[in-house]
Amino acid sequence: MSELTPALLWLIPVAPLLASIFIAFFGKALLRGRSHVPCVTALAISTLCAGSLMLMFLAAPSQLKPDPNTNSLHQRPSEHALQPVLTTPGYAWAETADLNVRLDLQMDAMTAIMLCMVTFVSLLVSIYASGYMHGDPGYPRFFAAFALFVFSMCMLVLADNYLTMFIFWEGVGLCSYLLIGFWFQKPSAAAAARKAFVVNRVGDFGFILGVFLIWKTFGTVRFADVFELIPHVAETNPGIFTTICLLLFLGAMGKSAQFPLHVWLPDAMEGPTPVSALIHAATMVTAGVYMVARSTPLFVMSPTAQMVVSGIGAITALLAALTALTQYDLKRVLAYSTVSQLGYMFMALGAASVSPKLATFAVTAAMFHLFTHAFFKALLFLGAGSVMHSMGNVIDMRRFSGLRDVMPHTRITFLIGSLTLAGCPLLSGFWSKDEILVALFEGTKAGGHETFFMVILGVAVLTAFLTAFYSFRAYNMTFLGEERFPEEAHHPHESPPTMTLPLFVLAGFSLVIGLFLGPTGVYARQLAQSTSLPGHGDHPHNILLMALSAAIFCGGYGLARWMYVKSPAVSAGLERGLKPLHRLSLNKFFLDELFNYLLVIPVKVLALLCTLFDKYLLDGLLNFAGSIPSTIGRIVRPIQNGLVSHYAWVMLLGVVLFLIQMLRALAG
Amino acid sequence: MFQHLTSAISQVLPEVVFLAAACVNLAVGPFLIGDDGTGPKGLRHRWGAWSLIALTIAAWLQCVPAPVVEATGLAPFLSDSLVSFVRLVTTVTGVVLVLINWNQIEERDSAESHACLLFILAGANLIALSNDLIILFLALELVSIPTYLFLYVARRDRSGQESTLKYFLLSVFSSALVLYGFSILYGVAGTTNLTALHLVFKNHQLTTMPAMLLVSIVTIVAGLAFRITAVPFHFYAPDVFQGTANSAAALLSVVPKVAGFIALVRILGQPSITAAIHLEYWSLASKSGGLLYLLAVATMFVGNLLALLQTNMRRLLAYSSIAHAGYMLVGLSVAVSVPQINDDATAASAGSVNGLPALLFYLGVYGLTTLGVFALIASLSRPERPLETISDLAGLSKTHPAGAFLAAVLLFGLTGLPPTAGFLGKLTLFLSAWSHSTEGRTLAICLAINAAIAAWYYLRLIGVMYLQSSCDDTRRATGVPAFVGVSLCAVASIALFFAPDWLWQALQRVGS
Repeated sequence: MSELTPALLWLIPVAPLLASIFIAFFGKALLRGRSHVPCVTALAISTLCAGSLMLMFLAAPSQLKPDPNTNSLHQRPSEHALQPVLTTPGYAWAETADLNVRLDLQMDAMTAIMLCMVTFVSLLVSIYASGYMHGDPGYPRFFAAFALFVFSMCMLVLADNYLTMFIFWEGVGLCSYLLIGFWFQKPSAAAAARKAFVVNRVGDFGFILGVFLIWKTFGTVRFADVFELIPHVAETNPGIFTTICLLLFLGAMGKSAQFPLHVWLPDAMEGPTPVSALIHAATMVTAGVYMVARSTPLFVMSPTAQMVVSGIGAITALLAALTALTQYDLKRVLAYSTVSQLGYMFMALGAASVSPKLATFAVTAAMFHLFTHAFFKALLFLGAGSVMHSMGNVIDMRRFSGLRDVMPHTRITFLIGSLTLAGCPLLSGFWSKDEILVALFEGTKAGGHETFFMVILGVAVLTAFLTAFYSFRAYNMTFLGEERFPEEAHHPHESPPTMTLPLFVLAGFSLVIGLFLGPTGVYARQLAQSTSLPGHGDHPHNILLMALSAAIFCGGYGLARWMYVKSPAVSAGLERGLKPLHRLSLNKFFLDELFNYLLVIPVKVLALLCTLFDKYLLDGLLNFAGSIPSTIGRIVRPIQNGLVSHYAWVMLLGVVLFLIQMLRALAG
Repeated sequence: MFQHLTSAISQVLPEVVFLAAACVNLAVGPFLIGDDGTGPKGLRHRWGAWSLIALTIAAWLQCVPAPVVEATGLAPFLSDSLVSFVRLVTTVTGVVLVLINWNQIEERDSAESHACLLFILAGANLIALSNDLIILFLALELVSIPTYLFLYVARRDRSGQESTLKYFLLSVFSSALVLYGFSILYGVAGTTNLTALHLVFKNHQLTTMPAMLLVSIVTIVAGLAFRITAVPFHFYAPDVFQGTANSAAALLSVVPKVAGFIALVRILGQPSITAAIHLEYWSLASKSGGLLYLLAVATMFVGNLLALLQTNMRRLLAYSSIAHAGYMLVGLSVAVSVPQINDDATAASAGSVNGLPALLFYLGVYGLTTLGVFALIASLSRPERPLETISDLAGLSKTHPAGAFLAAVLLFGLTGLPPTAGFLGKLTLFLSAWSHSTEGRTLAICLAINAAIAAWYYLRLIGVMYLQSSCDDTRRATGVPAFVGVSLCAVASIALFFAPDWLWQALQRVGS
């Protein structure tokens, strides 16, 4: 490893940060329509740095030598083989004896993979956004917030302790808030931004409590130290793990939109589509998955918490998939699909408890799905954005159809995205989904919770079927059928190359990345070197499950084709026939209304009472307290009368008083 | 004899540069002014540049390690890490003051004005350097006397004359108090050398403390309390600040405080903790702790409460500078008294923040921030469009966005909010007081209450700048040199938040 490595590592987050500051200060006055240039440049630099570090990691394990210099790669003494970690002593803000605030970066295999994905996808999305956002009055603001988001996200995955992670966890939340509410003039966008922020607060509250508890239990928040101390704590206080893990998972539920905290994500689609693609599909919402995966050593200590993770994941996956079946808003279909896929990842993470040997495999499955999902979901969102761009910001699938000829590029890439999401054999979604199913299937064989995992596996299979169905429902409704445009679309056209190019790149990755990294075991081997994983374990395969998921894909695809292309009457008939169920799904299981009555309205009443209390009682008291200083001031003021002789007298008086005071102290 | 002299001069080379440059000003200056008493256009730029050159040379000489002088202990000058800190502060202060003064001064007065400034800076450095009561007093006067002239030259109208005279009379009074205290000190200890003086007390040559020593402590503290605007010796400050020019007010808000605090630190010395544990021990420091405690509490509260009522900017800043002197007195009070050593409070002795570094850090940070605010006022103020009262600030975010932004940063610094160095300054003062003793905790609580009161009037200024609109929406002109000073201060104030070790590590050596 060269001396360059720490510099490269720092450059990954710092480049977007500098771009963000630059755009924020000079965007409006200097850059205007060129505001994307610093952002894209910085992200390209970050991507290159992340890529080169990744290559180093790929090449490294065999050559790594322990190095006394902390500035470079070293190996932790561990029972497992090679676990290279790159830590960079970062910036020491304050270092005194009792106060020690530092910011260090840590990169291991898991971080490297996440960084590559984050920087690469955000680079593509920023290129796309330079076309999509063209002409928007808030163009500089968009790219400033965008670059700031990438900075926060990189710092989140580079954090070497829970506290830093939490700080940037909040950072990405803030950027998400800013970008959802980007068009804050629209009341719905402002409301969606607020909702996302408030719902996330519930999760963050759990997260920070979890961090406090970790600090109290272990006396440190650094990942490496915490994981090292686990055996020690397991002897003295084994019960604490469940509490810690559940609190951390509450944080993950907020950020990764898990039931019942998932309600913010579909509303977040009010933001510009590139934001939905990057933040609310590919990167930020996976932070929860990353955090739970990072904390695997903690989670394996608590099977109860693991089962909660799996269970919540399953409920979310199924509920969101059912909701997605009937949505007419293309972006909302994709949003629910994201929620559902995140649920999938959590199902897999929960299976880590089955046996220590399976832990690595289960986490790998989740992280692999996270990885492939980032590509194809970003692709689908960007495709939807392209449609929206062309249709004059109309995104209701009932109002347009048959776009296959108008938008051939968008259509072909969207098709690839849908195939991947639906789990078409040999495409990347197929491989990662299959690994999750295998992990769950292994859970049904051993570990003492066979029945539980049987149910989870059933849910996963059903969800896979629903996924295939709704992804092709969306595709069919949008691109097939008779050609119809909404009246807002003045010139239905294909999007400019800045937008279609990222689509093709992402489509290419969606096609092949799974095949290259999944069955070959490259990804699994790489990830197994992460410090958070208990080493390379089993890598079971199951041909039967593969066949099953292929069949599920065909079933879902066929059904969607039959219902929405061959005989559209069927879908209409079914809608009428199953009216209550349809309405349930269309209205998102009335969760928003439920929350409204159960939480929002009571809180509002409480807020009203508080306002009254505040206005009439507290304000009175405070005004009284606030008037005390100025009253005293008014009383003292006349002494300040401008006469020098007067001042001199007061000074002399002061001397005399002090003298008396001193002499009294001497005497007493 | 000559050897002593050359070795002494080698220790004060930067100050010699200041004095030499100032003498050039005074010698050459009169010849450049025409017969009608007005200077040629652009003269002030030349003198400003000359001052900057002198400051640069002095700064360069400070970086060159001084020749090692064997520590006789009885030399008139004493170089230690405190001196290098004071030189750093005066250099930065000097640069900003020169920038503020640059366009404010009339062409014909520029030579005298800059000369005064250089004398004052040399005096401030010499206070830190002096190891003898006589040198110390001379250095204090080297700060005071040019200050009178500086005040008068900067503004010659009726109110300027009035405030100069006020400052002169009261300052002379305070100097007399200090000199009285010094003479008693000499009478008791039999020496004017500070090292020898402290040794007399440390070696128990006086088994009981003479009551006269208390008188000397009171008069010295009272006399220097005038310089640092501690209550009840603060009365001149609001009147003088309001009546004088911006550059003079900026000078008064920083340099006398540096002078006063450094002089107090030098005279009172530091308590010896090890001696305090074992013996019935006393020193100048330990006896003055209670006095400084009272001063600190009174100064914080009076400064902040009266600041609430002000409408004139410079008057407000005068009270604000009084309040800040109170905060710094907290640090001094903690620094000079022996920490309470309980069984459970082992932290008080070992790892905690010491009072002295906290005080000096705050002094530096306060100086930067407050100079920045004055520089801003000087930069944006025009005779036809003054920046005198708070309501003149209204709509500054529209009429001068960059200035409003920098002002907001600086006011955040004075309030003590992150991300500015002011936050760290208050934090270290608070920590040093809190971990010190029971009295220290009371002081820390007072400090916190006062910081909250102060937030009200600082944030109100930001509110006026950003939320109120002015009747005149045209852009304000910028006075370039002073604006450079503002930017310098604001950037430094943020940079010191992110890299406090830059200053803090140097200060850690001062205490020990």
